[in-house]
Amino acid sequence: MAAPVSGMGEAPAERLPVNSTSFQKKTRSKLVSIPGTRPSVQNGQLLVSTGVTSLDYLLGGGLAVGTVLLIEEDRYDSYSRMILKYFLAEGVVCRHELFVATAQDNPDDILQELPAPILDDVAVPKAVEQPRLTGEPQDSLDAMKIAWRYQHLPKVQSALASSSRFGHYYDVSKTMEAEIRQAAKCHRFCLPDHVTPSSTAHRLESYSALLESLQEVIHREGFDLAAPMSKSRNILRVGLHSLGSALWGDDLCCHDKPRHRHALTTFLYGLRALLRSSLSVAVVTLPSHLIQDRALMGSITRLCDNAIALESFKGSERETNPLYKDYHGLLYVRQVPHLNCLASQLPDHKDLAFKLKRKQFSIERLHLPPDLSETVSRVSRGELASACGPSASGTKNLDF
Amino acid sequence: MLSELLQGIETGGLLIIQDSCSYSGRDLLRSFIAAALNREEEVHVLCFDVSEDELTDGLKPPATQRLHVHNAYPDPLGWTDHPAFAVQQFRLEDLTDLVKQASQPKPATLVIDSLSWVLRHAAPPAVCRTLQQLRKGGAVRAVVALLHADMHQRGTVGSVCHLASSLVAVAPGPKGNEAVAKITKRSKSGKVAQDEETFCITEDLTVAVLSRPSSLPEAKPNGSEEEQADPTANLTFNLRLSESELEAKQKLTLPFVFSKEKKTALLHPGPGSGRILYEPDANDDYDQEDPDDDLDV
Repeated sequence: MAAPVSGMGEAPAERLPVNSTSFQKKTRSKLVSIPGTRPSVQNGQLLVSTGVTSLDYLLGGGLAVGTVLLIEEDRYDSYSRMILKYFLAEGVVCRHELFVATAQDNPDDILQELPAPILDDVAVPKAVEQPRLTGEPQDSLDAMKIAWRYQHLPKVQSALASSSRFGHYYDVSKTMEAEIRQAAKCHRFCLPDHVTPSSTAHRLESYSALLESLQEVIHREGFDLAAPMSKSRNILRVGLHSLGSALWGDDLCCHDKPRHRHALTTFLYGLRALLRSSLSVAVVTLPSHLIQDRALMGSITRLCDNAIALESFKGSERETNPLYKDYHGLLYVRQVPHLNCLASQLPDHKDLAFKLKRKQFSIERLHLPPDLSETVSRVSRGELASACGPSASGTKNLDF
Repeated sequence: MLSELLQGIETGGLLIIQDSCSYSGRDLLRSFIAAALNREEEVHVLCFDVSEDELTDGLKPPATQRLHVHNAYPDPLGWTDHPAFAVQQFRLEDLTDLVKQASQPKPATLVIDSLSWVLRHAAPPAVCRTLQQLRKGGAVRAVVALLHADMHQRGTVGSVCHLASSLVAVAPGPKGNEAVAKITKRSKSGKVAQDEETFCITEDLTVAVLSRPSSLPEAKPNGSEEEQADPTANLTFNLRLSESELEAKQKLTLPFVFSKEKKTALLHPGPGSGRILYEPDANDDYDQEDPDDDLDV
């Protein structure tokens, strides 16, 4: 539909002003533009990246601001700690503020292990990296001889990734440089500094101390949504390591019928309420393999918005299974939230496996290889015929 | 890996020997004590399960100067007025005092026999906290503890073993005096190494590692490498190329093979090649709710 272009030959001074029509485009509700966030394409929520692009894709584009991501730890807490580090590193790169809480270890231990970001990463086309067989000098165009028009397109990957460049990539073999890390503001919470343990306490104080500390930080630094929008807003990333373990004073993991049964669930309820009213996002790791009460585990999962579980192959009999040889473990998506909508978008694939590579934590669909052996049973012809057509006894009644 | 553990536990490490009623891990614990004494380290032992004589049986006199046994066996719960050591004293402050007053400035190794006793009479979260604080504090170099896995709930055993940097689970072996040890070692960088070994303990408390019951995957012999099946062999027609044919193939110019300049020109379109200039005019002012433009709103 070609519309005539008016004013082509006129001098610029005589051109009509642009707003000559009364037509006004309906704009979206005022979304704060904070670096490192973007609105979701599905429901308009403000999303932040978890640091792992495959995980962003599984959670519907990213973590919505104001929600909690629960990570059920693997047996030796290696990969869940890695995802927590990715989350915090993403916060440093996007210039968000961090809040890290640990029970007995120093939060600085986690902060010093953050992976180094790959800062100049664009989707590097794989074609450039192919070895140069012809030996010609640095000439990327000759790497593809026939399909050279596809030179600059990224290679198709079976790893799940969002199409837009929202998250960053990290190199696990290097730690983040101190200058980059110190540029980010970080609040720490270490349990021994806040709570003096007393063996006669009938109520667990560690969780309430944590919640109070978090509330105080949110209020003081201005992450409250109720605060006036005077200065530029930022996001607070909260990382809670190994909540519910015995080091927090909770006997959830120790006993089959824990005494402080509702301490963690009360905390999660309060945490979610706190996050909903502020510009923060939380990642909580939980050693769920130690919790014997599955009903309690279910209620903990319900209280968090997003929930994933990691199962590492290390130490289990699955390590030697040839099916799993390319991967480091399995990943289960337990829950995806439905915020301001009726139904949530669960990922299509239920069998997911993850692999920690040097530059990427990739989550892929677990493919079953085709069974080409001779022992595969095939439906015999006789059975087929009897299944499709009416059986001999059946036609008796239908005989007209 | 068992012999490496016997040679030394890293600073701040917690080694837990997990046993059951079918095989007692106390002999292995005693061989750890013997190995630490032979390395000229100070060793403090908290003795709950068995008497002091039974525990130190077999340890030679010159080494026992560095051994300090805190005997809680006669009165573990402190019913008399002056217990040597009671379960209530299993706290960071008391243990630090105990270790500091007896030993030289060099930090000592703490051996607990057994942790199950402490877990029966103190809350597991408190015990875990004390163990973690002992590791982080400077008074004790490393902690070795014996845990009877069948005495506690699975969650308790799991929580305590979650803290451990090395875990040795012993079970009875195929023959009489042999035992199988499943070793899990977690390093600070998050790497986990696992191993399974058969061992037996001799009279003088040395551990003889016998064999590995799990067969390792056979390393491929370097010499014989199978050749890939050559698909061009055994055919009734000829798929191979002679030298001249190979040359001719490489000289062939394919269609749609452009020169470099043309490729760059096509791949990176320059500015001004196809811009559309548009200014909205009256026809664009189309209101869906008022198509004829005649409503008076």
